[in-house]
Amino acid sequence: MALALGLGSLFNHSNFPNLSYTIDASTDSIRYSTTRNVEPDEELCLYHGGNLWFEPVGPNGARPSSGAQENEDSWGGLSNVDGLQDSRPIFFNGSVDEVVPEEELPFERFKPPPEEETLETIRTVQAWAVDVPEPQSIGPMLKWLRRSELDASELGHLKRVRKQGDTSTFLLTVSPLPPSLPEDISLPEPFLVTVPSSVAVTPTSLTLKSSLWPTVYAPRRKGEVEDWSQGKTRWAWEAMHVAVKEALRWRDKGELPIAAYVPAPYEELDAASPSSGFMAHDTRQSVAHPLRHAVMNVIRQIADDRAHSEVEAVKAQIPASADADDDAPRNGTNYLLTSQILFTTHEPCIMCSMALLHSRVKEVVYLFPMEKTGGCGGATCLPTLPGVNHRFSICRWKGETIQEDGLRLDASVDA
Amino acid sequence: MAEAMNMAEEALAAGEVPVGCVFVRGQNIIAKARNRTNELRNATRHAELEAIDEILGDPVLTPPGTGRYPLSETTLYVTVEPCIMCASALRQMGIKEVFYGCANDRFGGCGGVIGVNDSIEHPSHPPYTAAGGYSREEAILILRRFYVTENSNAPAPKSKANRVLKTEILPP
Repeated sequence: MALALGLGSLFNHSNFPNLSYTIDASTDSIRYSTTRNVEPDEELCLYHGGNLWFEPVGPNGARPSSGAQENEDSWGGLSNVDGLQDSRPIFFNGSVDEVVPEEELPFERFKPPPEEETLETIRTVQAWAVDVPEPQSIGPMLKWLRRSELDASELGHLKRVRKQGDTSTFLLTVSPLPPSLPEDISLPEPFLVTVPSSVAVTPTSLTLKSSLWPTVYAPRRKGEVEDWSQGKTRWAWEAMHVAVKEALRWRDKGELPIAAYVPAPYEELDAASPSSGFMAHDTRQSVAHPLRHAVMNVIRQIADDRAHSEVEAVKAQIPASADADDDAPRNGTNYLLTSQILFTTHEPCIMCSMALLHSRVKEVVYLFPMEKTGGCGGATCLPTLPGVNHRFSICRWKGETIQEDGLRLDASVDA
Repeated sequence: MAEAMNMAEEALAAGEVPVGCVFVRGQNIIAKARNRTNELRNATRHAELEAIDEILGDPVLTPPGTGRYPLSETTLYVTVEPCIMCASALRQMGIKEVFYGCANDRFGGCGGVIGVNDSIEHPSHPPYTAAGGYSREEAILILRRFYVTENSNAPAPKSKANRVLKTEILPP
């Protein structure tokens, strides 16, 4: 059995630690990161595993209710992050960059289908075209086109020739001025046509677009979803376990056992100053406000933090972005949750799901489906509704990897 | 509805998407609010949720021991159809009924996109009626007055130099 040395042996144990860690096998090192905002002078604690070799003390010292078995591993049991899982999943075994096969991911992914286009929403451009009335001119015309500078990539998603009866119409260019035509072929004047500006990805869109001009059909490949590396999957695994622990902690204080967690993105863990994540729990009981759900609370926390850091930036007389860089967006870089992944113990209710859509979240990962009240596949599935202006992916955690009956909610609760 | 429109005007003056609302209990306006999404950097701070916070924060309006549905005797007047988020929030609060100005075909939660108020089933919250068309033209015009100008608070403002204010309003 090996022990974590250095900092690792200094952190005390807590059942509700404010630190988590990832093991980087490529450098034989352990990276410790905070799991929530840490107050000044607050002690940094780690979870030492389910079977402690000492008597726990303090309010957080109560042993976890689930029967965890210590794993003998090369990190002295450290990788048994929280005692909730019985064995380490397969994605803890390889290098951080290795892609995890879909079926080994601890969650199922649901990607909303591409928004179906309508005749009104198809994007179009104006292009020059010319009718070629004589069939014997088609060959020379094609040759001329190949020699000419007009083989523009802007039109690569469209068929070059449209046949209607005996007349073939050639698509020429999207340039604003009419192109010059070959002198040795007798042709009428070119004219402007409205054509789609992108390929058709669904059969419906193909029909609609081809009514304007014959369009190339390129359906999205089935496997066109982002790969999850082992490192990122471990990050997600920890994030969900951290959320579960937070929910249990607040259940013991009389709240509904629901937590929402937006960790610092996996891609930013190596950044010079990683921002810690944001964690919130359901507070509708303690503040007697039926809408203080975990998701609403975490969104508010992030917004307040962003507003606060803007105020601080102004105080510190950091030049406003408008002066420093004219290209910079004027209000932060993004919407609140752009490119962020939110982890939550329960499928968010319709209100919370729409709040996440308004905030442009990238992905929502939840543990317990709420079939009668949820807005991410339960009562309805908001990111798939026609018309909404943002789509996010949904990941449903596989229940067998986290058995936690303490989080069960009545089916009528809005999480 | 005229008071709700005043709140929308206040939002417009503050550079916010101009949506305003009032909550009425008995004959009295008990709360009024407007959109504060830009000011609070939070796309969820819609007028309805702002007003609900005000009502719940006031022990006179929401005395301790209020039942599960604090708005069961309260009517909402709002210039634009509540979005899906607010429509769900209102149902969770047990709102009595809702009157709104114009429909919202991008976000509307009272039939615009989805009927969270009555057509989606909920295991415990009663449905509520939501009726639109009150001061509809005014509600549309004030939104257009906002959208012809650039929303400089949007993360990636679009240039709208070529936009002109349309005044023709088609029937719903």
